[in-house]
Amino acid sequence: MSKLPRKVKLIFISTVLFCITSCSSISKNAEGASIDELNEFTNSVDLLLKDKSFLKAEILKINASKPSVQRIINESDSLWKKGKLENSSKELERALRITRNESSIFLRLSLIRLEQGLKLESEGFAARGLLINGISSWERLLLNAFLQQ
Amino acid sequence: MKFNLTLKSLLLIFIIIASIFSIAIVSVIDQRVTAKLDGVLWTIPAKIYSRSLEIAEGGLINKNNLIKEFKLLSYLELKKPTEPGQFFLKGNNLKIFLRGFKKQEPAFYEIEFDFTRIKTITNQAGDRVDSIILEPMAIGGMYPSHMEDRVLLDWTQIPKRLVDILLSVEDQGFFSHYGISLRSISRAFYRNIKAANIEQGGSTITQQLAKNLFFSSEQTFKRKASEAIAALLIEFHYTKKEILLAYINDVYLAQSGSRSIHGFGLGSQHFFGTSLRNLDDHQLALLVGMLKGPSAYNPRRNPNNALKRRNIVLSVMQREALIDENALKTLQQVPIKLVKPSYRSETRYPAFHDLVRLELRNNFKDEELRTEGLSVSTNINPVLQESLEKNMILTKKELIKKYGSKLNDLEGAAIAVDIQSGEIRAVVGSSSPAQFGFNRSLNAIRSIGSLVKPFVYLTAVKNYQDYNLTTMLDDSKLSLKLSSNSKWEPNNFDKKYHGEVPLHKALWQSYNIASARLGLDLGFDAVEITMQDLGIKKEVPHYPSFFIGSFEMSPFEVIQAYQTIASDGFYSPLRSIREITDLKGNTNLRYPYVIEQRLRPEPINLIKFAMQQTFIKGTARGYSLKKINLWDAGGKTGTSDDQRDSWFVGYAGKYLVLVWLGFDDNRATPLTGRSGALQVWKNFINDIDPIPVEKTKLSRIVYAWTDLSDGLLSGPKCKGSILTPFIKGTEPSVTPDGRRNCGTSIEKNSSEVLDKLKGVFLNE
Repeated sequence: MSKLPRKVKLIFISTVLFCITSCSSISKNAEGASIDELNEFTNSVDLLLKDKSFLKAEILKINASKPSVQRIINESDSLWKKGKLENSSKELERALRITRNESSIFLRLSLIRLEQGLKLESEGFAARGLLINGISSWERLLLNAFLQQ
Repeated sequence: MKFNLTLKSLLLIFIIIASIFSIAIVSVIDQRVTAKLDGVLWTIPAKIYSRSLEIAEGGLINKNNLIKEFKLLSYLELKKPTEPGQFFLKGNNLKIFLRGFKKQEPAFYEIEFDFTRIKTITNQAGDRVDSIILEPMAIGGMYPSHMEDRVLLDWTQIPKRLVDILLSVEDQGFFSHYGISLRSISRAFYRNIKAANIEQGGSTITQQLAKNLFFSSEQTFKRKASEAIAALLIEFHYTKKEILLAYINDVYLAQSGSRSIHGFGLGSQHFFGTSLRNLDDHQLALLVGMLKGPSAYNPRRNPNNALKRRNIVLSVMQREALIDENALKTLQQVPIKLVKPSYRSETRYPAFHDLVRLELRNNFKDEELRTEGLSVSTNINPVLQESLEKNMILTKKELIKKYGSKLNDLEGAAIAVDIQSGEIRAVVGSSSPAQFGFNRSLNAIRSIGSLVKPFVYLTAVKNYQDYNLTTMLDDSKLSLKLSSNSKWEPNNFDKKYHGEVPLHKALWQSYNIASARLGLDLGFDAVEITMQDLGIKKEVPHYPSFFIGSFEMSPFEVIQAYQTIASDGFYSPLRSIREITDLKGNTNLRYPYVIEQRLRPEPINLIKFAMQQTFIKGTARGYSLKKINLWDAGGKTGTSDDQRDSWFVGYAGKYLVLVWLGFDDNRATPLTGRSGALQVWKNFINDIDPIPVEKTKLSRIVYAWTDLSDGLLSGPKCKGSILTPFIKGTEPSVTPDGRRNCGTSIEKNSSEVLDKLKGVFLNE
């Protein structure tokens, strides 16, 4: 990777982080955000998603809260990195049978389905992930990335 | 000369074309013959397994159900488990010696629980382990390439006596002919004339086997010719023994409901309840006699014909010196004794097997399934399946006690699914769930009654600018002119009119007239769109009684739609199969988790509020508020016209369960949704006691105290008020003068409210 995109990425992150702090109410109180702020927000998300490898790298950093689930996610991640999408998602589905409220699983399934060319399902997993109580704003943002296309 | 040449070449061309044509025909038939016969002769049944349970640290589990599963898997309860297949539970400590499955070796483990949570798992050395896998339960076998249940026998399992009787009656020259036999045709002709009765058919065993390959039964020359070619090809490819074996395993013997009885192995089980080798001469003669006309000589349907035919077979046996004169006389006097058609085969859970078979047929190609030794991992939870079967039987008994013997032939169907994934956990297709036969969960197409109403109300609140839960609906008399001389005047179940009622109350009280008016306002097309989103593929009929339930669906179709509601608008196709692996453990086919957002969660949330009221105040009341909240339970009763159908669909914890009760001939029952289907649901849910789930909190939902009768704002201190959800911005703003002192109407912070909901949120 060249240095230029790295800089661009940093700008993305700072824009996004700025947005999170300034519109932290977006997730909880949508009425608090003006239309301008919302547009800015969605723009940053759009920019973010354009770099899929960045998105993937960020998603791979999201861990599960339960160690036993994390172990399965690790297995899934290594299969994913080898390009074995089907086996990787099989592991994630296994993890979902143990716990239902881990955004880490939904984020991964969203991107894997997108890589498999299954856009509707990718959006489905993202939208479902957004219903998990108490997820962080960053996870919310990443999940939203799949719904913004 | 020139003329001759053209004639010659024409003739040559004709011969070439004709031979190409016949080669093509022969090779097509050849393919069919070998494909079919290889299937019968060489298939090893696919083994079907339940879902395997993974017990992971941090996961949640119901200990009682876990113990039940150990017992189903024949684990022994022993104080000190020292060998595979033993366990011991004391308080929150479980010791188990697993038998091992796949990568997991047989080994001892110790599990510490914190009520329903799995706190720690340690191995024999005392080291922590993330998770362990309990081996799945084998629930039966299936011949995937036939998609039918068979008892396939090998040569050693076939009594010589059967072969002797079979050949003496059907094909005496079997071991000498080449597939077709002119001699046997003429001999049959002669014998039949001499006996003035039809004793023998002219077709050889090989021809009869070939006949089964060509499905049409029309007697055309083309078919006869194909049959003859097929017979010759069979003789060319297979040995006499193999042909006989295929015939014995494949021949069509009888029909029992929707189940075809193929092969002598299954026939013996079906009529005599025992395996072929245990049959006496007169029983074998009965079975062989049926070959002449599976329907005409069916001993259940036509016992006299069957008896006559059996005695003819016995006399043939005497003539061929298989029995002597005395034996003939004795055997001909033996009455036909059959077992009750219990169909209980080695396969457990027949209704679930139907689903597996259907899914295999719909999703996988025949050749993909022909691989030997496939394992089919399914989603069935054997503990839930056992409980659903048990409680269907138990509830029917309770209902017979209450309503009398008129309910003796009451039928039922029930399905339990995992809400989030759409995985099917248990299915019952009959009030005698262990029997094969008509599977009502898939095939009973019945009027759904009030189960249609949530679809109508969901269509309304989807349109949240116009409708919210406190929109007032009109439940006064409705008279609709359908044509010049017919009117439609719907009635409420209590035969009363209720005037103006808030929308949510009309739903949980299941008022027909308010619902019909609402549906007519929304229109057929709008409701149809909602139903399609929920996963219903049927067209909506354009008559007003549709809005109150004149609409027919199978239990399976209904629960699919409710899965989308229960999972907050996320549709997942219900599925029974998880994956199919080959002998080496490689995954051949996988049935992944599919999810599609069909509806926004907010309007669904409003409908789920009303469905929860069904339990709190409505047609399914009776559970404590605490239980309802822990399970985040909701449901809907349904009763069709004249109480022909009793329905209940409800979710509790992670399960969605649908129950239908009614008579097969569609006559009236004394049951409503509440007094019938709900009782099965309750008995089942109480038995499996689902683990509590977290309620979904939506940021765009706010709560306001509203009045139960006028729908306007009220407060927690005033009687008749109820804490009602609204999509932000649609909550009412007017507090009537008389209710100024009722306390704060609008609860701003929804998550706080949800926590409050654990207490009382209804003031009456």
